[in-house]
Amino acid sequence: MIVLFLTSAVYYSVFSNRINSLIESQSREINKQIVLNYESYINSVIETSNYIQAASLNLDVHRSYEKLQDIYLYNSEIKRDVVSIFLFDEKGDKILGNSPDNIRFHNIAGEKWFLNALQEKTTFHFSAPHLQSLFSIIEEEIISVSRSVKYNESGVEKDGILLIELNFENLTDLADKTNLGIGGHILILNDDDSIIYISGRRKGDELPESIDIAVNNYLGGFKTEIDSTQMYVNINTLSQTRWRIVTINNVNELALARDEMLVILFVIFILSFAVTAFVSFVISRRISEPLFQLKNSMLKIEGGDFHTTVEVSGQKEVVRLSRAFNRMLEEIRALMDRVVNEQREKRKTELKALQNQINPHFLYNTLDSIVWLAENKRTDDVITTVIALARFFRISISKGATYIPVKDEISHIRNYLTIQKIRYVDRFEYSFEIDPGVYDYKVMKLILQPIVENAIYHGVGDETEKITIRAYPENRFLVFEVENSGYGITEERIAEIYQILKGEHSKSSVGMRNVYLRLKLFYGDDADILIRSELDEMTLIKLLIPVDEEVSHISGRKGIS
Amino acid sequence: MKKYLKIFVTACISVFMLAGCSIREKTAGLFLYNMDDPYVDVFAGHILDFSRGRFSVESMDCNNSQIIQNEYIEKQIKKRNDIMIINPVDRLGAYSVIRKLKSVDIPVIFFNREPLSEDLELWEKAYYVGAKAEQSGRLQAEMIMELFGGDPDRLNSYDRNGNSKIEAVILKGEQGHQDAEIRTAEVVKTFRENRFKLDILITEVANWKREEAYEKMKHIIEVFGNRIELVISNNDAMALGAISIMRQSGMFRDTNSNGIIDKDDDSWIPVVGIDGLDEAVEMIERGYLYGSVLNDSLSQAMAITELAEAVLGNKSFDRMSYPLTDKKYIWIDYKPLK
Repeated sequence: MIVLFLTSAVYYSVFSNRINSLIESQSREINKQIVLNYESYINSVIETSNYIQAASLNLDVHRSYEKLQDIYLYNSEIKRDVVSIFLFDEKGDKILGNSPDNIRFHNIAGEKWFLNALQEKTTFHFSAPHLQSLFSIIEEEIISVSRSVKYNESGVEKDGILLIELNFENLTDLADKTNLGIGGHILILNDDDSIIYISGRRKGDELPESIDIAVNNYLGGFKTEIDSTQMYVNINTLSQTRWRIVTINNVNELALARDEMLVILFVIFILSFAVTAFVSFVISRRISEPLFQLKNSMLKIEGGDFHTTVEVSGQKEVVRLSRAFNRMLEEIRALMDRVVNEQREKRKTELKALQNQINPHFLYNTLDSIVWLAENKRTDDVITTVIALARFFRISISKGATYIPVKDEISHIRNYLTIQKIRYVDRFEYSFEIDPGVYDYKVMKLILQPIVENAIYHGVGDETEKITIRAYPENRFLVFEVENSGYGITEERIAEIYQILKGEHSKSSVGMRNVYLRLKLFYGDDADILIRSELDEMTLIKLLIPVDEEVSHISGRKGIS
Repeated sequence: MKKYLKIFVTACISVFMLAGCSIREKTAGLFLYNMDDPYVDVFAGHILDFSRGRFSVESMDCNNSQIIQNEYIEKQIKKRNDIMIINPVDRLGAYSVIRKLKSVDIPVIFFNREPLSEDLELWEKAYYVGAKAEQSGRLQAEMIMELFGGDPDRLNSYDRNGNSKIEAVILKGEQGHQDAEIRTAEVVKTFRENRFKLDILITEVANWKREEAYEKMKHIIEVFGNRIELVISNNDAMALGAISIMRQSGMFRDTNSNGIIDKDDDSWIPVVGIDGLDEAVEMIERGYLYGSVLNDSLSQAMAITELAEAVLGNKSFDRMSYPLTDKKYIWIDYKPLK
């Protein structure tokens, strides 16, 4: 934009300078031509004067009067613009020249041209034009050119005054022929700044504005405005005189051309501005819009959403960039998944180790019970217990499988309860309410045992307790319930247990929390443990295990070995 | 980055200020009426030599045109020159030039052609450096009077016809030219004042030119022959032109063949010029030209340079080598050469 502006400005200034210098040089040239015309005119007058002087230098005005008189007359006749030539002595008496005209020359010594020539002897003196009745008949405007000269009278050199009268019309003809445009004109100023001549002016016309300009400036060329027209003024001196020649040149047309140029340039500038603005808008849309989209996607990712992809269309570069960005996202996602999986696997391995651990106290207590039964010769009970223990361990091991059918899990609990019932000497009763439809579901092994263990420890008191274990499908879940009658627990305690499960509490209940973690880890977020209690009535622990309809018969979720 | 910018700006400013203090030299415009004139050429050379190291000078050849000179002056005014040194083409043109320079307050020194004194008076900072033309004519006359014995009543043998009058030919410069008129008038006047009788056989206008003088003199010798006892020329060029044809007409014989013309030889006629051109000096040494008057351009150039310095304020007016007369003029004496 700036470049465009600068280009226009430079172009205009160059053009404008060209026009200005053209205007200047043209009017200067005109002025020069006019001055040269006048100079050559004046020079021819001076030549005439010099010729007369040189010719008469060695002639005596008395002895060679006739010869000298011939020279004077001949020269005034041969030159068209010379009206007459005279020689006067210092008192103003005529010595040589045209036929005597006493009326005209009655007071020569008082004339300005005469006095000037006497005073300043080294130069010619040009008078302002004045009306002169020549030979008493015709009136003509003439200029008096005078100069002090020496003449020879009876062998004595004397000072005299030479007068050459010029027809002013010839001077004005020179000026009137020059074309200076409408309103253009020429002024000639005398040394006292009085007007000698104004071209193209008829009698009675007002004095033009240009006079002030001409009077107040002594030399040189400059532009100005006269009558709201652009004019170029040139002031020059005229050799051999103290006159100034002022030419006033109409340069309006050229100035108009320059102004037109300015308008055209302005229009071009505006148009280019508009085009550039439009183009840059389009370009910026093509480049910056996709970048903006990209930025928004990045912000989203910064906010934690790694599942967005960036779909950007437009510039090839930006598309490439967004593709690279997407690839990076995928990479990050894969990495994150891998990290999560690795962590999960690690946990699973840990928890598996836990699940595989057999509470040594349980074994010790059970063996203790068996010893006690044997001592009391309760052979049947010993057999029952030992069988139950054997089965309990077989299922616990399950050849290393993680998932076992629900019926195995239930049978595992049965064995467990059989052992515990003998140990706790029938201090509790138990019953199973299992929906037969769930027997074939596969479930993570040893998930119920810690719950039942809890129910026995916390529930068994003075009264005979009743433990009920249920299993049934509900919507997309396989539900296990372990209910025990007893004091029940308070709401506060339940809230505390939930916190313990989630790992948000300082206390820990290893058994329940293990179950909870394993559920979450192997079955995902949908799996859960719910606790319900009625004081002095019962406490119910409910396990919710999600089942995939399609694979429900094979496994709870996916088989991980 | 900012720091560098600061340093850069500071450097710029200091360079600018240095330039402002020391590099701003005073400037002068030197306007020469015509470089084809060898005298002006030499003159300009002297001014340039003297001004070196004091102020800078731009010299312009006005090609003998006042219009061109006006144009140059206008340009130099626009360039705001400190001073103008002008050899006018047209004495009267100086009138407008002085008024113009006064209006823009630029001092001016004129030389070689003297403007009218009333015009110089218009501007207090307008000066003229030059020689008085009258003096050159007077020195010519004095030189000749000495040759003729110094006593108007008893002229020596150079008055060949013994009539107690000196029969002379005058070669005049351009008719109407100030210098030509004054030199001619003054030489004649000095003879008269000293009661020497001068019989002017003819006054011939040869327009300062050597060739023209040669042709005019050829005619004069045909007409006046051995009546000629003296040739007075307004300048050296015309004198040298006259000597050429005089030699061809049998004058200036080297009787003893020593390469120098003996003044006592019958064929020797005194010729005097003005200007002191190198060639004229050589011709004086070889005995052809009796004498010349040196228009001392070296001293004038020195006076111009010193005056310019004083006007520019670099020098006191009192310490100039040549005195300022009427606060306007420095007059340099002509020097007789023979």
